[in-house]
Amino acid sequence: MKLNVLMWLAALLAVFLPHPADCRPDDAPASRRPLLPRPLLLHLGEEFSLRLGGGVGSSSAAPALLSSSTTSSSSSSSSAVNRALLQLTQRLLQARAEQQEEEEGEEEEKGKRSDEPPISLDLTFHLLREVLEMARAEQIAQQADSNRRMMDAFGK
Amino acid sequence: MRVMERTFREQLFFLVLCLSVLKGDSRYIENNEISKDELFSFFNSELKREIPEELMYRRPLRCLDMVAVEGQFTFTAERPQLSCAAFFMAEPNEVISVEYDNVDIDCKAGDFITVFDGWVMKGEKFPSSQDHLLPLYERYVDYCDSGSVRRSVRSSQNVAMVFFRIHNAGSSFTLTFRKHINPFPCNVISQSPEGSYTMVIPQQHRNCSFSIIYPVEIDVSEFTLGHFNNFPKRSMPACAESGDFVQLLGGNGIDTSKLLPITDLCISFTGPTHMKIGCDNTVVRMVSSGRFVSRVSFSYRLLDSQELQTIKLNNVEDFCFNN
Repeated sequence: MKLNVLMWLAALLAVFLPHPADCRPDDAPASRRPLLPRPLLLHLGEEFSLRLGGGVGSSSAAPALLSSSTTSSSSSSSSAVNRALLQLTQRLLQARAEQQEEEEGEEEEKGKRSDEPPISLDLTFHLLREVLEMARAEQIAQQADSNRRMMDAFGK
Repeated sequence: MRVMERTFREQLFFLVLCLSVLKGDSRYIENNEISKDELFSFFNSELKREIPEELMYRRPLRCLDMVAVEGQFTFTAERPQLSCAAFFMAEPNEVISVEYDNVDIDCKAGDFITVFDGWVMKGEKFPSSQDHLLPLYERYVDYCDSGSVRRSVRSSQNVAMVFFRIHNAGSSFTLTFRKHINPFPCNVISQSPEGSYTMVIPQQHRNCSFSIIYPVEIDVSEFTLGHFNNFPKRSMPACAESGDFVQLLGGNGIDTSKLLPITDLCISFTGPTHMKIGCDNTVVRMVSSGRFVSRVSFSYRLLDSQELQTIKLNNVEDFCFNN
Protein backbone atom coordinates (compact mmCIF):
# COMPACT_ATOMS: atom_id res chain seq x y z
CA MET A 1 0.00 0.00 0.00
CA LYS A 2 2.71 2.41 0.95
CA LEU A 3 4.62 1.40 -2.13
CA ASN A 4 1.61 2.21 -4.29
CA VAL A 5 1.18 5.60 -2.70
CA LEU A 6 4.87 6.33 -3.13
CA MET A 7 4.83 5.35 -6.79
CA TRP A 8 1.75 7.52 -7.49
CA LEU A 9 3.41 10.41 -5.74
CA ALA A 10 6.55 9.94 -7.81
CA ALA A 11 4.49 9.82 -11.00
CA LEU A 12 2.60 13.01 -10.10
CA LEU A 13 5.83 14.81 -9.28
CA ALA A 14 7.24 13.81 -12.62
CA VAL A 15 4.19 15.32 -14.34
CA PHE A 16 4.37 18.64 -12.59
CA LEU A 17 8.11 19.18 -12.69
CA PRO A 18 9.14 21.86 -15.21
CA HIS A 19 10.45 20.48 -18.50
CA PRO A 20 13.87 21.51 -19.68
CA ALA A 21 13.83 23.97 -22.58
CA ASP A 22 15.84 22.13 -25.12
CA CYS A 23 13.86 23.03 -28.21
CA ARG A 24 13.16 26.71 -27.72
CA PRO A 25 13.75 28.85 -30.78
CA ASP A 26 15.99 31.87 -30.68
CA ASP A 27 13.77 34.67 -29.42
CA ALA A 28 15.75 37.70 -30.41
CA PRO A 29 14.63 38.86 -33.82
CA ALA A 30 17.41 40.06 -36.06
CA SER A 31 17.29 43.77 -36.64
CA ARG A 32 16.27 44.55 -40.15
CA ARG A 33 17.81 47.21 -42.21
CA PRO A 34 15.08 49.27 -43.89
CA LEU A 35 15.05 48.95 -47.64
CA LEU A 36 16.70 51.84 -49.43
CA PRO A 37 14.30 54.07 -51.34
CA ARG A 38 14.35 53.69 -55.08
CA PRO A 39 16.04 56.64 -56.79
CA LEU A 40 13.64 58.88 -58.62
CA LEU A 41 13.98 58.52 -62.36
CA LEU A 42 15.07 61.88 -63.75
CA HIS A 43 13.53 61.32 -67.16
CA LEU A 44 10.17 60.96 -65.47
CA GLY A 45 10.30 64.58 -64.35
CA GLU A 46 11.53 65.76 -67.71
CA GLU A 47 8.78 64.07 -69.61
CA PHE A 48 6.27 65.31 -67.07
CA SER A 49 7.32 68.89 -67.79
CA LEU A 50 7.31 68.18 -71.51
CA ARG A 51 3.70 67.12 -71.42
CA LEU A 52 2.62 70.03 -69.26
CA GLY A 53 3.83 73.07 -71.12
CA GLY A 54 6.12 72.55 -74.01
CA GLY A 55 7.70 75.77 -72.76
CA VAL A 56 10.82 73.92 -71.80
CA GLY A 57 13.31 74.76 -74.50
CA SER A 58 16.14 72.44 -73.70
CA SER A 59 14.11 69.30 -73.38
CA SER A 60 11.81 69.76 -76.35
CA ALA A 61 13.90 67.64 -78.67
CA ALA A 62 13.30 63.95 -79.05
CA PRO A 63 11.31 62.58 -76.15
CA ALA A 64 12.61 59.17 -77.16
CA LEU A 65 16.10 60.38 -76.39
CA LEU A 66 14.95 61.63 -73.02
CA SER A 67 13.33 58.38 -72.09
CA SER A 68 16.37 56.33 -72.96
CA SER A 69 18.97 58.46 -71.26
CA THR A 70 19.14 58.58 -67.52
CA THR A 71 22.27 60.59 -67.12
CA SER A 72 20.95 64.10 -67.76
CA SER A 73 22.44 66.87 -65.74
CA SER A 74 20.61 67.37 -62.52
CA SER A 75 20.43 71.15 -62.82
CA SER A 76 18.56 71.25 -66.12
CA SER A 77 16.19 68.50 -65.07
CA SER A 78 15.46 70.10 -61.72
CA SER A 79 14.72 73.45 -63.37
CA ALA A 80 12.47 71.67 -65.87
CA VAL A 81 10.71 69.91 -63.02
CA ASN A 82 10.41 73.21 -61.17
CA ARG A 83 8.81 74.87 -64.17
CA ALA A 84 6.43 71.97 -64.55
CA LEU A 85 5.51 72.09 -60.90
CA LEU A 86 5.04 75.85 -61.16
CA GLN A 87 2.51 75.40 -63.94
CA LEU A 88 0.76 72.69 -62.02
CA THR A 89 0.78 74.91 -58.94
CA GLN A 90 -0.91 77.70 -60.85
CA ARG A 91 -3.65 75.38 -61.96
CA LEU A 92 -4.08 73.93 -58.49
CA LEU A 93 -4.09 77.39 -56.92
CA GLN A 94 -6.76 78.48 -59.30
CA ALA A 95 -8.78 75.40 -58.57
CA ARG A 96 -8.22 75.84 -54.86
CA ALA A 97 -9.28 79.51 -55.01
CA GLU A 98 -12.43 78.49 -56.82
CA GLN A 99 -13.06 75.84 -54.22
CA GLN A 100 -12.57 78.30 -51.36
CA GLU A 101 -14.93 80.78 -52.95
CA GLU A 102 -17.42 78.01 -53.32
CA GLU A 103 -16.97 76.90 -49.74
CA GLU A 104 -17.43 80.40 -48.34
CA GLY A 105 -20.46 81.09 -50.45
CA GLU A 106 -22.30 77.83 -50.21
CA GLU A 107 -21.39 76.36 -46.87
CA GLU A 108 -24.96 75.40 -46.10
CA GLU A 109 -25.70 73.91 -49.49
CA LYS A 110 -23.16 71.14 -49.60
CA GLY A 111 -25.43 68.86 -51.52
CA LYS A 112 -25.75 71.24 -54.45
CA ARG A 113 -22.05 71.69 -55.05
CA SER A 114 -20.93 71.56 -58.66
CA ASP A 115 -19.67 68.32 -60.02
CA GLU A 116 -16.15 69.53 -60.87
CA PRO A 117 -13.49 68.00 -58.64
CA PRO A 118 -11.70 70.69 -56.64
CA ILE A 119 -8.29 69.07 -56.84
CA SER A 120 -6.86 67.17 -59.76
CA LEU A 121 -3.55 66.08 -61.20
CA ASP A 122 -2.37 66.50 -64.76
CA LEU A 123 -0.68 63.25 -65.58
CA THR A 124 -0.47 61.30 -68.78
CA PHE A 125 -1.21 57.61 -68.98
CA HIS A 126 2.37 56.95 -69.96
CA LEU A 127 3.70 58.51 -66.76
CA LEU A 128 1.04 56.78 -64.72
CA ARG A 129 2.09 53.41 -66.14
CA GLU A 130 5.75 54.13 -65.39
CA VAL A 131 5.02 55.03 -61.80
CA LEU A 132 2.77 51.99 -61.52
CA GLU A 133 5.54 49.69 -62.72
CA MET A 134 7.92 51.19 -60.16
CA ALA A 135 5.37 50.55 -57.45
CA ARG A 136 4.86 46.99 -58.63
CA ALA A 137 8.59 46.32 -58.60
CA GLU A 138 8.76 47.67 -55.07
CA GLN A 139 5.86 45.46 -54.03
CA ILE A 140 7.45 42.36 -55.48
CA ALA A 141 10.76 43.13 -53.78
CA GLN A 142 9.01 43.70 -50.47
CA GLN A 143 7.03 40.48 -50.84
CA ALA A 144 10.24 38.56 -51.50
CA ASP A 145 11.84 40.10 -48.42
CA SER A 146 8.81 39.30 -46.30
CA ASN A 147 8.77 35.72 -47.56
CA ARG A 148 12.44 35.34 -46.72
CA ARG A 149 11.87 36.63 -43.20
CA MET A 150 8.95 34.28 -42.67
CA MET A 151 10.94 31.30 -43.93
CA ASP A 152 13.73 32.23 -41.56
CA ALA A 153 11.30 32.40 -38.65
CA PHE A 154 9.63 29.09 -39.47
CA GLY A 155 12.85 27.26 -40.01
CA LYS A 156 14.12 27.87 -36.51
CA MET B 1 -4.35 -8.32 -3.66
CA ARG B 2 -3.10 -9.52 -7.02
CA VAL B 3 -6.12 -8.06 -8.84
CA MET B 4 -5.55 -4.75 -7.16
CA GLU B 5 -1.88 -4.84 -8.11
CA ARG B 6 -2.72 -5.59 -11.75
CA THR B 7 -5.20 -2.71 -11.93
CA PHE B 8 -2.66 -0.43 -10.34
CA ARG B 9 -0.01 -1.58 -12.80
CA GLU B 10 -2.30 -0.83 -15.73
CA GLN B 11 -2.99 2.63 -14.39
CA LEU B 12 0.68 3.25 -13.85
CA PHE B 13 1.59 2.11 -17.33
CA PHE B 14 -1.05 4.38 -18.76
CA LEU B 15 0.29 7.30 -16.78
CA VAL B 16 3.85 6.57 -17.84
CA LEU B 17 2.69 6.36 -21.44
CA CYS B 18 1.08 9.80 -21.20
CA LEU B 19 4.18 11.25 -19.64
CA SER B 20 6.44 9.83 -22.29
CA VAL B 21 4.26 11.29 -25.01
CA LEU B 22 4.46 14.73 -23.47
CA LYS B 23 8.08 14.65 -22.47
CA GLY B 24 9.59 12.61 -25.26
CA ASP B 25 10.26 13.60 -28.86
CA SER B 26 7.43 16.11 -29.15
CA ARG B 27 8.28 19.70 -30.00
CA TYR B 28 7.06 22.72 -28.16
CA ILE B 29 4.34 24.72 -29.88
CA GLU B 30 6.37 27.66 -31.05
CA ASN B 31 4.94 31.08 -30.56
CA ASN B 32 6.29 32.92 -33.55
CA GLU B 33 5.61 36.59 -33.84
CA ILE B 34 3.65 36.47 -37.05
CA SER B 35 0.38 35.53 -35.38
CA LYS B 36 -0.61 36.70 -31.97
CA ASP B 37 -2.18 34.15 -29.65
CA GLU B 38 -4.96 36.19 -28.19
CA LEU B 39 -7.93 34.60 -26.56
CA PHE B 40 -10.61 35.83 -28.94
CA SER B 41 -8.41 36.57 -31.91
CA PHE B 42 -10.39 34.32 -34.19
CA PHE B 43 -13.43 36.55 -33.73
CA ASN B 44 -11.63 39.55 -35.13
CA SER B 45 -9.64 39.03 -38.27
CA GLU B 46 -8.29 42.57 -38.06
CA LEU B 47 -6.10 41.66 -35.09
CA LYS B 48 -4.17 39.12 -37.07
CA ARG B 49 -3.37 41.71 -39.69
CA GLU B 50 -1.53 43.94 -37.22
CA ILE B 51 2.05 44.11 -38.36
CA PRO B 52 4.55 44.38 -35.51
CA GLU B 53 6.41 47.67 -35.42
CA GLU B 54 9.78 46.24 -36.31
CA LEU B 55 8.41 44.44 -39.36
CA MET B 56 6.52 47.39 -40.83
CA TYR B 57 7.86 48.65 -44.14
CA ARG B 58 8.94 52.27 -44.04
CA ARG B 59 10.27 54.66 -46.61
CA PRO B 60 10.06 58.36 -47.44
CA LEU B 61 7.14 59.54 -49.54
CA ARG B 62 7.95 61.48 -52.69
CA CYS B 63 6.10 64.45 -54.09
CA LEU B 64 4.85 62.31 -56.98
CA ASP B 65 4.57 58.72 -55.86
CA MET B 66 2.68 55.51 -56.25
CA VAL B 67 2.42 53.10 -53.34
CA ALA B 68 1.38 49.48 -53.66
CA VAL B 69 2.89 47.98 -50.52
CA GLU B 70 1.64 48.26 -46.94
CA GLY B 71 3.69 50.36 -44.60
CA GLN B 72 4.43 53.81 -43.28
CA PHE B 73 5.39 56.60 -45.64
CA THR B 74 6.77 59.86 -44.33
CA PHE B 75 6.92 63.04 -46.33
CA THR B 76 9.34 65.70 -45.13
CA ALA B 77 9.38 68.96 -47.00
CA GLU B 78 12.89 70.15 -47.72
CA ARG B 79 11.44 73.19 -49.47
CA PRO B 80 7.87 74.37 -50.08
CA GLN B 81 6.01 71.76 -52.11
CA LEU B 82 2.78 73.18 -53.38
CA SER B 83 1.43 70.45 -55.59
CA CYS B 84 2.07 66.87 -54.69
CA ALA B 85 0.09 63.70 -55.07
CA ALA B 86 0.58 60.07 -54.18
CA PHE B 87 -1.43 57.25 -55.69
CA PHE B 88 -2.34 54.19 -53.66
CA MET B 89 -3.09 50.87 -55.22
CA ALA B 90 -4.06 47.45 -53.89
CA GLU B 91 -5.07 44.10 -55.31
CA PRO B 92 -8.48 43.96 -57.01
CA ASN B 93 -10.10 42.26 -54.03
CA GLU B 94 -8.75 44.71 -51.45
CA VAL B 95 -9.64 48.15 -50.17
CA ILE B 96 -7.25 50.70 -48.79
CA SER B 97 -7.12 52.45 -45.43
CA VAL B 98 -4.94 55.50 -44.89
CA GLU B 99 -4.09 56.73 -41.38
CA TYR B 100 -2.49 60.01 -40.44
CA ASP B 101 0.38 59.85 -37.95
CA ASN B 102 2.70 62.57 -36.67
CA VAL B 103 1.19 65.30 -38.80
CA ASP B 104 3.13 68.54 -38.50
CA ILE B 105 1.65 70.97 -41.01
CA ASP B 106 0.30 74.49 -40.82
CA CYS B 107 -3.32 74.38 -41.89
CA LYS B 108 -3.76 78.13 -41.44
CA ALA B 109 -0.91 78.83 -43.86
CA GLY B 110 -2.71 76.87 -46.54
CA ASP B 111 -1.16 73.44 -46.07
CA PHE B 112 -3.46 70.54 -46.68
CA ILE B 113 -3.48 66.77 -46.89
CA THR B 114 -6.52 65.48 -48.74
CA VAL B 115 -7.33 61.83 -49.29
CA PHE B 116 -9.53 61.08 -52.28
CA ASP B 117 -11.61 57.91 -52.58
CA GLY B 118 -10.52 56.93 -56.08
CA TRP B 119 -8.13 58.40 -58.62
CA VAL B 120 -8.32 61.81 -60.26
CA MET B 121 -6.44 62.58 -63.44
CA LYS B 122 -6.89 65.60 -65.68
CA GLY B 123 -10.13 66.44 -63.99
CA GLU B 124 -11.59 62.98 -64.51
CA LYS B 125 -12.20 60.65 -61.63
CA PHE B 126 -12.39 56.92 -61.20
CA PRO B 127 -14.88 55.56 -60.22
CA SER B 128 -17.17 57.99 -61.99
CA SER B 129 -19.88 59.78 -60.07
CA GLN B 130 -22.45 57.38 -61.50
CA ASP B 131 -20.62 54.31 -60.23
CA HIS B 132 -19.64 55.54 -56.78
CA LEU B 133 -21.96 55.37 -53.80
CA LEU B 134 -20.74 58.57 -52.15
CA PRO B 135 -21.33 62.09 -53.46
CA LEU B 136 -18.23 63.88 -54.71
CA TYR B 137 -17.64 66.16 -51.72
CA GLU B 138 -17.64 63.15 -49.39
CA ARG B 139 -14.91 61.47 -51.39
CA TYR B 140 -12.44 64.24 -50.51
CA VAL B 141 -11.36 64.02 -46.86
CA ASP B 142 -9.21 66.93 -45.78
CA TYR B 143 -7.02 66.54 -42.72
CA CYS B 144 -7.37 70.21 -41.82
CA ASP B 145 -11.16 69.90 -41.78
CA SER B 146 -11.58 66.62 -40.00
CA GLY B 147 -8.17 65.27 -39.03
CA SER B 148 -8.71 65.58 -35.32
CA VAL B 149 -11.94 63.65 -35.54
CA ARG B 150 -11.21 61.17 -38.29
CA ARG B 151 -7.71 59.78 -38.28
CA SER B 152 -8.32 56.93 -40.70
CA VAL B 153 -9.89 56.99 -44.16
CA ARG B 154 -11.02 53.88 -45.97
CA SER B 155 -11.55 53.65 -49.70
CA SER B 156 -14.42 51.91 -51.45
CA GLN B 157 -12.26 50.23 -54.09
CA ASN B 158 -8.69 49.17 -54.66
CA VAL B 159 -7.42 52.66 -55.52
CA ALA B 160 -7.11 55.88 -53.56
CA MET B 161 -4.88 58.91 -53.65
CA VAL B 162 -3.69 61.75 -51.47
CA PHE B 163 -3.03 65.34 -52.47
CA PHE B 164 -0.84 67.48 -50.24
CA ARG B 165 0.66 70.93 -50.11
CA ILE B 166 3.35 72.07 -47.67
CA HIS B 167 4.43 75.70 -47.48
CA ASN B 168 7.10 75.51 -44.79
CA ALA B 169 10.32 73.57 -45.09
CA GLY B 170 10.66 71.08 -42.29
CA SER B 171 6.98 70.22 -42.03
CA SER B 172 6.26 66.55 -42.29
CA PHE B 173 3.58 63.93 -41.96
CA THR B 174 3.34 60.16 -41.98
CA LEU B 175 0.71 58.06 -43.67
CA THR B 176 0.10 54.43 -42.75
CA PHE B 177 -1.18 52.50 -45.71
CA ARG B 178 -3.01 49.23 -45.13
CA LYS B 179 -5.01 46.88 -47.27
CA HIS B 180 -8.16 45.04 -46.26
CA ILE B 181 -10.00 42.25 -47.98
CA ASN B 182 -13.12 43.22 -49.92
CA PRO B 183 -15.29 40.17 -50.58
CA PHE B 184 -17.32 41.72 -53.44
CA PRO B 185 -15.17 44.24 -55.24
CA CYS B 186 -17.05 46.48 -57.61
CA ASN B 187 -14.80 49.10 -59.19
CA VAL B 188 -11.26 47.96 -59.88
CA ILE B 189 -8.21 49.32 -61.67
CA SER B 190 -5.96 46.52 -62.82
CA GLN B 191 -2.39 46.59 -61.57
CA SER B 192 -0.97 44.78 -64.56
CA PRO B 193 -1.60 44.74 -68.31
CA GLU B 194 -2.19 41.00 -68.33
CA GLY B 195 -4.36 38.76 -66.26
CA SER B 196 -7.83 37.41 -65.76
CA TYR B 197 -10.68 38.39 -63.54
CA THR B 198 -14.20 37.41 -62.58
CA MET B 199 -16.58 40.15 -61.52
CA VAL B 200 -19.64 39.27 -59.46
CA ILE B 201 -22.52 41.57 -58.58
CA PRO B 202 -24.63 39.76 -55.98
CA GLN B 203 -28.15 40.99 -56.64
CA GLN B 204 -27.34 44.65 -56.28
CA HIS B 205 -28.68 47.42 -58.43
CA ARG B 206 -25.35 48.98 -59.30
CA ASN B 207 -22.84 49.20 -62.12
CA CYS B 208 -19.28 48.01 -61.68
CA SER B 209 -16.23 48.71 -63.83
CA PHE B 210 -12.94 46.95 -64.30
CA SER B 211 -10.44 49.38 -65.77
CA ILE B 212 -7.22 48.39 -67.53
CA ILE B 213 -5.03 51.38 -68.26
CA TYR B 214 -3.34 49.70 -71.21
CA PRO B 215 -4.31 48.78 -74.77
CA VAL B 216 -5.27 45.14 -74.49
CA GLU B 217 -6.97 42.26 -76.17
CA ILE B 218 -9.94 41.16 -74.09
CA ASP B 219 -11.36 37.68 -74.12
CA VAL B 220 -14.71 37.42 -72.35
CA SER B 221 -15.20 33.76 -71.58
CA GLU B 222 -18.39 33.77 -69.56
CA PHE B 223 -21.29 36.01 -68.70
CA THR B 224 -24.11 34.53 -66.66
CA LEU B 225 -27.08 35.79 -64.77
CA GLY B 226 -28.12 33.50 -61.97
CA HIS B 227 -30.63 33.50 -59.19
CA PHE B 228 -29.67 32.79 -55.63
CA ASN B 229 -30.68 29.20 -56.22
CA ASN B 230 -28.54 29.19 -59.34
CA PHE B 231 -31.34 28.57 -61.87
CA PRO B 232 -30.70 30.66 -64.99
CA LYS B 233 -33.51 32.69 -66.36
CA ARG B 234 -35.14 31.11 -69.39
CA SER B 235 -36.41 33.94 -71.52
CA MET B 236 -34.16 36.93 -71.80
CA PRO B 237 -35.02 40.15 -73.57
CA ALA B 238 -32.52 41.84 -75.83
CA CYS B 239 -29.53 43.74 -74.53
CA ALA B 240 -30.70 47.28 -74.06
CA GLU B 241 -34.03 46.46 -72.48
CA SER B 242 -32.82 43.79 -70.12
CA GLY B 243 -31.00 46.01 -67.66
CA ASP B 244 -28.33 43.38 -67.18
CA PHE B 245 -25.48 43.42 -69.66
CA VAL B 246 -21.76 43.89 -70.03
CA GLN B 247 -20.20 46.82 -71.86
CA LEU B 248 -16.73 47.15 -73.30
CA LEU B 249 -15.59 50.75 -73.21
CA GLY B 250 -12.47 52.48 -74.45
CA GLY B 251 -10.98 55.93 -74.40
CA ASN B 252 -8.23 58.21 -73.19
CA GLY B 253 -9.45 59.13 -69.74
CA ILE B 254 -10.16 57.29 -66.52
CA ASP B 255 -13.75 58.44 -66.14
CA THR B 256 -15.83 55.50 -67.33
CA SER B 257 -18.85 57.69 -68.01
CA LYS B 258 -16.84 59.63 -70.60
CA LEU B 259 -15.56 56.60 -72.49
CA LEU B 260 -17.06 55.44 -75.73
CA PRO B 261 -18.85 52.10 -75.78
CA ILE B 262 -17.25 49.63 -78.13
CA THR B 263 -19.71 46.79 -77.76
CA ASP B 264 -22.40 45.40 -75.49
CA LEU B 265 -22.56 41.77 -74.46
CA CYS B 266 -25.87 40.21 -73.66
CA ILE B 267 -26.78 36.94 -72.01
CA SER B 268 -27.66 35.41 -75.34
CA PHE B 269 -24.14 35.45 -76.74
CA THR B 270 -22.49 32.07 -77.11
CA GLY B 271 -18.85 31.28 -76.95
CA PRO B 272 -15.86 33.44 -76.09
CA THR B 273 -15.54 36.96 -77.39
CA HIS B 274 -12.17 38.34 -78.42
CA MET B 275 -11.69 42.02 -78.91
CA LYS B 276 -8.58 44.11 -79.48
CA ILE B 277 -8.97 47.59 -78.06
CA GLY B 278 -6.18 50.00 -78.80
CA CYS B 279 -7.12 52.68 -76.31
CA ASP B 280 -5.19 54.02 -73.36
CA ASN B 281 -7.93 52.84 -71.04
CA THR B 282 -10.00 49.71 -71.60
CA VAL B 283 -12.95 49.11 -69.32
CA VAL B 284 -15.25 46.14 -68.79
CA ARG B 285 -18.39 47.49 -67.22
CA MET B 286 -21.23 45.37 -65.91
CA VAL B 287 -24.68 46.85 -65.56
CA SER B 288 -26.87 45.04 -63.08
CA SER B 289 -30.53 45.55 -62.29
CA GLY B 290 -30.33 43.72 -58.98
CA ARG B 291 -32.56 40.85 -59.92
CA PHE B 292 -29.76 38.37 -60.56
CA VAL B 293 -26.37 37.35 -59.37
CA SER B 294 -24.41 38.64 -62.37
CA ARG B 295 -21.03 37.19 -63.17
CA VAL B 296 -18.59 37.89 -65.98
CA SER B 297 -15.20 36.26 -66.49
CA PHE B 298 -12.58 37.61 -68.82
CA SER B 299 -8.89 37.62 -69.49
CA TYR B 300 -6.71 40.25 -71.11
CA ARG B 301 -3.22 40.68 -72.47
CA LEU B 302 -1.17 43.65 -73.59
CA LEU B 303 -1.14 44.50 -77.29
CA ASP B 304 2.32 44.81 -78.74
CA SER B 305 3.37 47.68 -80.98
CA GLN B 306 2.79 45.66 -84.16
CA GLU B 307 -0.83 44.96 -83.26
CA LEU B 308 -1.35 48.55 -82.21
CA GLN B 309 -0.06 49.73 -85.55
CA THR B 310 -2.43 47.37 -87.36
CA ILE B 311 -5.37 48.64 -85.35
CA LYS B 312 -4.43 52.22 -86.09
CA LEU B 313 -4.36 51.57 -89.80
CA ASN B 314 -7.58 49.59 -89.90
CA ASN B 315 -9.60 51.77 -87.59
CA VAL B 316 -12.17 54.00 -89.22
CA GLU B 317 -13.12 55.71 -85.98
CA ASP B 318 -9.85 56.73 -84.43
CA PHE B 319 -11.32 58.03 -81.22
CA CYS B 320 -8.45 56.53 -79.28
CA PHE B 321 -5.73 58.10 -81.38
CA ASN B 322 -6.65 61.72 -81.47
CA ASN B 323 -3.64 62.96 -79.50
